[in-house]
Amino acid sequence: MSEITKSLNPDTKPSGFSFDNAHRNTMIEQAAMSSNAILPMATKTGTTIVGLVYKGGVVLGADTRATGGSEVAEKNCEKIHYMAPNIYCCGAGTAADTEKTTELISSQLELLRMNTGKESRVVTACTMLKRMLFRYQGHISAALVLGGCDVNGPHIYQIYPHGSTGKLPYTTMGSGSLAAMSVFETGWTEGMEEGDAVKLVQRSILAGVFNDLGSGSNCDTCVIRTDGTVQYTRGAVTPNETQPLRDAINHSDRLNMGPGTTVVLDTKFTPRKVSLEDVTVTEMET
Amino acid sequence: MAPFRTQHQTNRNAAGGPSLPMMPPIIHSSEGPVMAKADTIDHGVTEAPYERGFSPYDFNGGTTLAIAGPDYAVVAADTRLSSGYEILSRNVSKLHALTDGCVLGSAGCKTDVDQLRSVLDIKQKIYHHNHRKQMSTPSVAQMLGNTLYYKRFFPYYAFNVLGGVDAEGKGAVYSYDAIGSFERTGYSATGSGQAYIIPLLDNVIGHKNRADENRDLPAEEVVEIVKDAFVTAGERDIYTGDAVEIMVITKDGIQTTTFDLKRD
Repeated sequence: MSEITKSLNPDTKPSGFSFDNAHRNTMIEQAAMSSNAILPMATKTGTTIVGLVYKGGVVLGADTRATGGSEVAEKNCEKIHYMAPNIYCCGAGTAADTEKTTELISSQLELLRMNTGKESRVVTACTMLKRMLFRYQGHISAALVLGGCDVNGPHIYQIYPHGSTGKLPYTTMGSGSLAAMSVFETGWTEGMEEGDAVKLVQRSILAGVFNDLGSGSNCDTCVIRTDGTVQYTRGAVTPNETQPLRDAINHSDRLNMGPGTTVVLDTKFTPRKVSLEDVTVTEMET
Repeated sequence: MAPFRTQHQTNRNAAGGPSLPMMPPIIHSSEGPVMAKADTIDHGVTEAPYERGFSPYDFNGGTTLAIAGPDYAVVAADTRLSSGYEILSRNVSKLHALTDGCVLGSAGCKTDVDQLRSVLDIKQKIYHHNHRKQMSTPSVAQMLGNTLYYKRFFPYYAFNVLGGVDAEGKGAVYSYDAIGSFERTGYSATGSGQAYIIPLLDNVIGHKNRADENRDLPAEEVVEIVKDAFVTAGERDIYTGDAVEIMVITKDGIQTTTFDLKRD
């Protein structure tokens, strides 16, 4: 059933796997193999994402590089996504998948808050995410670090693209996860102070930024405290500013394109005439 | 219709009596036991070979470029060595001076690059012994092209750019493909970041698509343009970064400078 026919025959009790796109997928596969057509590449985030539990809540961290193959598609993208006022989620894998998956569950959580009148719990978000990812059998390439504080305290979950989850005091995901985990394993202790926890998260992200080619640019952090306050810092650490490098170069004036650099073949100026003949006035009736 | 009897096929052994049907052999490959197809003469080893998809090549990343001037040549390359998503070294040179008058810059598979350099050094030494003089840059260019074509059917995975001064002292740049096709050009870039640098050089050095006055650039200005080009390539190519090594070749010799790039 396509999107159009679905609205005519709504699924009142949706269950099981949806094979709506199976035919389309086989067509795409055959087309890709036969004519050597280049399929558009999904932007992956390469990525280093981390999360840990400390004395007063959780701290999430992420780098800001998005790659498409070996090219940097975005130098400063946001990988820490809003889920609920007290829950945020870092995403690694295909950028569109992490974005849309977290948006979907975030909206489902908001509806649930309206229905129940209660604050969202981290385990609820985790269960919704894993149920969706398992349904798609790993084809949604989203590896997530979910963190937040609720009535039961601070929690960190790791969620894999196939739908498995782990509840841990600290975790890392993405291509830079090994570099980041080496920092965590050396430095994490139970019941850390906020300053130390934030510094540890920053150091682990920077380990990924400098030692993993799939991660780079800046470190974003998000502190979610058990008292309900949230501090989302974009660019908490920015060790990769380009301006100092550019300032160290004595730029050639060949790089300046003043007027006359581009050939102007023809100039035509047409003033826009506004005539009142085409205007009709219809009075509004209140 | 007359009833017909089906013939049962039973394997008969040499003695003429029936024997058990053949069980397909189990192949123990490096990825676990696999039941082979019974009806093939190789007993399924081709289905489950021990080495799957071995590639002799690895891409170790990097970008090189060379620009020819009226009486100099500039050759530059970044110093990062990588494999997959890992950085193997932040300080490995991709430039190699073959004679006092020319420098070879090579990106690609490091082991092939090292071997190519060895072969060229030896050939250059033999030439020196035989002719009592160093090879001129055009001669080196031809030798490199021949050396690469020699391995036409198992190529050196090396993307080369040769820069130097010719017999008259004018700058010469030669660009190559992996199997030895080469051409003398005014400028060239090769490696993982070539797509970000060549359009810039086309406009600034080649004076393409611009109507302002063209002028000869001194070596110092070209070095600054090269630094800008590598900062740009480093922004968008994950394999380019750490530092760039720039060599300026004139009839008086080779001068080397290093400029730091971003390390992320």
